Amino acid sequence: MIAVLVMAGTLCHLAGSGAMIQSRPPETTALDIPGPVPTERPQGPRCIRQRILASVLLLAGCEGPQSALVPAGVDAQALHLLFTTMLGGAIVLWLLMNGFIYWFSHRHPAAFSEIAARWLIVLGGVVTPAIMVGALLVWGLTLLPDQRIAGNGLRIRVHGEQWWWRVAYQPPGTSGPIISANEIRLPAGRRTEFILTSDRVIHSFWIPALGGKMDMFPGRETRMSLQPETPGRYRGQCAEFCGASHAWMAFEAVVMPPEEFDAWLKAEAKDARPPQQDSARKGQQIFRREGCGACHTLRGTEAVAQVGPDLTHIGNRHSIGAGRLGATLDDIALWVRHTGDLKPEVHMPAFPHLEPAELRDLASYLKGLK
Amino acid sequence: MKRVLLILLALALLGVVTAVSVVGLGLYNVSARSGHLPGVSWALHTTFRNSVRLRASAPDDMPDLSDPELIALGAGHYATACAPCHAEPGKRPTATMRAMQPQPPAIREAVTDWNPAELHWIIDNGVKMSGMPGWPTGGRGDEVWAVVAYLETVRRNASPPLPTPKRDRNADAAEAGYCRTCHGSISRHVPRLDIQQPEYLTKALQDYLKGERPSGIMQQAVSRVPPEAIPGLARYFATVPLSGAKTTGAPVAGKELASRGTRKVPACIACHGPGAPLAQPPAPALAGQDRAFLETQLRLWRDGIRQGSARMSAAARALTDHDIRLLSEWYASLEAGSGNAE
Repeated sequence: MIAVLVMAGTLCHLAGSGAMIQSRPPETTALDIPGPVPTERPQGPRCIRQRILASVLLLAGCEGPQSALVPAGVDAQALHLLFTTMLGGAIVLWLLMNGFIYWFSHRHPAAFSEIAARWLIVLGGVVTPAIMVGALLVWGLTLLPDQRIAGNGLRIRVHGEQWWWRVAYQPPGTSGPIISANEIRLPAGRRTEFILTSDRVIHSFWIPALGGKMDMFPGRETRMSLQPETPGRYRGQCAEFCGASHAWMAFEAVVMPPEEFDAWLKAEAKDARPPQQDSARKGQQIFRREGCGACHTLRGTEAVAQVGPDLTHIGNRHSIGAGRLGATLDDIALWVRHTGDLKPEVHMPAFPHLEPAELRDLASYLKGLK
Repeated sequence: MKRVLLILLALALLGVVTAVSVVGLGLYNVSARSGHLPGVSWALHTTFRNSVRLRASAPDDMPDLSDPELIALGAGHYATACAPCHAEPGKRPTATMRAMQPQPPAIREAVTDWNPAELHWIIDNGVKMSGMPGWPTGGRGDEVWAVVAYLETVRRNASPPLPTPKRDRNADAAEAGYCRTCHGSISRHVPRLDIQQPEYLTKALQDYLKGERPSGIMQQAVSRVPPEAIPGLARYFATVPLSGAKTTGAPVAGKELASRGTRKVPACIACHGPGAPLAQPPAPALAGQDRAFLETQLRLWRDGIRQGSARMSAAARALTDHDIRLLSEWYASLEAGSGNAE
């Protein structure tokens, strides 16, 4: 039982590792993850207590914004039910098997009649497993098409880049797509379709709290749909190794009440807001002077390039650098100054020559792009 | 058996003692006056010839060697970098040159036995233990072709006269006349300078001086100029429009690529104009620049030979040859100074 718990705990920990997101590089803060590594194995009751404590701590990993075990949508719930049923079934089977072993070896060690033994082997060894595995297979296969059922109109095209996400919203009845990046907003209670593709290598699109994952292939489109239910912020992560910064290729998935989502999408379609304060105006000059527009688009300005993420409304996003950092002014300044340190092999060059005051101005300009 | 081993050991010891005496005690006479022992010259020269023939492969990047502008560029470089040893074509080498060991051949004689690819290899790599230096920087085979083009005219006895600097009365730096033997006199391959800011030109010259920007021709040229003259030269060349600088006029494709970029190629104009302020630290203006020069420089950036700007290295990373041609043509077709004045 403890073994099952520990295994489940480990699984939870893996699934919920999003709790550690957005840590800064070691040289910039002292945000160390506590991880004592004992050199000697403790013995006796202290050891058991520690193991129980460890299991409880690991189980805490089941929470968090990136956990398939805390489903927040129809699709994740279906997968969650499949998983818990299998887990429950495995526990029952494990108890039964060990119960039988105990019963026949200690309580009733008498010999079986040959007929009874044959029946036990055929029923317990062939028929029951075939029925159970068959039933699970049928159940699992019937869930597969649900991943791609048609949505309620909104389509989102996501393009995997190294290592970020190009996002284009295509609401029904509009002409051009609404371009964004590195954050995906979804209306609660509606089903949204995703069209997924990639640029150079295979990525995989996964928001564990909302549903299953789907690979993204260069030169090919894959489809899936999601129906989130609970408004909130969740974390998506690339789930297919795609290069040096694969682990830093994440995004925020924000589920909003439908009316709020519609209002947000309307705002997202608008051009970039001109800077309001002095600092932001200086920041805009720096943005132009440093040639940021060579790679980034700010709709409504002269910056129209397509190499990097669209920054038209970056001020509204909850993270920058594709889930690498939060979105405070300090985070933006840190990103611009230490890009390559934060995200190895990223194409965006760092701007170490900018003074702290200039970085602040630039950050306040970007933060103001709501 | 034991005796054989002892003899071998004694011989080995004798060899070590001889080597230590020659190297450590200076017993070998290095005087160049006496020349080589009989047969050594022949062995060295034959080794040199065969080594070059083995290594100089058929080039895939050989430009049109009859291009007069390329020939003129090669002549300009030859005048200061090569002529001190190989003399001007048809002129007698100086007494000092003739006292060298081995004696550098007069240029007409030097080119006779080699084809262009072999000449290119020799100029690019130099020849060990002969006094012939390699090109001052690696990866600039494109520049070496200019000298080869000039040498081909020498072979045909049709070489243009080597340029001689004229005193430029308008420039406060005396060396301006030397710079102008190429800038303003040669209309292709040589960048136009009057479209740049003085700060950019100063930085470029200093980068050449420090060897941070690879160009055998410009590193040679700038090493002949006193470093304190650099800011004055930069000011002068940033302001004086020189003859030979002309735009190609007609609009061409490439505008879309330069102003919007693609998903792999950034928009050039965001840093280099026109229509946007030039990026800082100073980025060069490109409107009206020479097309051949732009093509060469973009290739050098893309191939990682030219470095020194993380932004430009990242920007040029994904350029195709076709992109490079489009962009160079478009910038060369623009009116100089258009829209950079912000």
